Amino acid sequence: MTNTRTNQEWLHDLNASGSLQEAAIAELRVLLLRAALYFFSRNLGDFKGMDHNEIMQRAEDCAQDALIAVTNRLSDFRADSKFTTWAYKFAINIAMVTARRERWKDVSLDELSSSSESNFFEWTLQDKSDGIAPEQSAMQVEVREIIQDVIEHELTEKQRHVLFMMVFNDVPMDEVVRHLDVNRNAIYKLLHDARRKLKAGLQAHGIEFGETLTLFGASR
Amino acid sequence: MQGNRFERWLQNIYKTQDQEISCSECFDLVSHFVEVELSGEDAVAKMPQLKQHLDQCAVCREEYEALRDLRRLENEGGLPSLDDLQDLIP
Repeated sequence: MTNTRTNQEWLHDLNASGSLQEAAIAELRVLLLRAALYFFSRNLGDFKGMDHNEIMQRAEDCAQDALIAVTNRLSDFRADSKFTTWAYKFAINIAMVTARRERWKDVSLDELSSSSESNFFEWTLQDKSDGIAPEQSAMQVEVREIIQDVIEHELTEKQRHVLFMMVFNDVPMDEVVRHLDVNRNAIYKLLHDARRKLKAGLQAHGIEFGETLTLFGASR
Repeated sequence: MQGNRFERWLQNIYKTQDQEISCSECFDLVSHFVEVELSGEDAVAKMPQLKQHLDQCAVCREEYEALRDLRRLENEGGLPSLDDLQDLIP
């Protein structure tokens, strides 16, 4: 399918009525399905155990949800990109949430939450000092202790909870969003505030960026 | 946590800004960012806050990369047809 409409034509036709609108919606739906399938094709590992028809059905659902989102938000389009680029992002966003849901559907985040704190403390106790100078090893221990201290004493319970799940257990943001029944902005804010506290904690001890990266890069 | 992931996390900590845009703001801006990039302009210089968010937020970064790659393929005429994409699904 060749996408030849201009931005103005897309807006005009989608806001029209009758066959003009129907044709625009049909064309847009195919483009959104293509975007969803493109995302799925890059992430086939998220759909293990599902057959072709089941994955296609998920893609069709994504295209339909994206079509609703796009048509509901037409007035937000500022024409600072091609209309289709703007529309694709809705399909990709919905396809991403769907794909991660499939990958994580059998994982209990409640169980993961309870084990993630112990995983973190196991990590802090791991000896990563092979092959590096004793003074570097001592600094590594100091950095880990500072990070642990900030996490234990300066982060809020929610910040700690989200940090353990996402940073130490690789839980995707959208699964944390679903688990906590919030939105992405709320999770991002919790992580942002946690990062600010960790940065301040490291800097308060005179530990600077380049020095820290050299220290941990050297031990790999 | 693997060494390279820990290193990346440390980078994220040190590159933290007092003010960062939210995921919603990133979503609103990302299609413009992709178009600026595809036009050959310096999108990072033009929209540094968006780039900063993409560096910090894995989920927004993955969506951005998919959008950018899809549009790049489309511009180059290399985006698979709907039939070809369906054939890629096992």
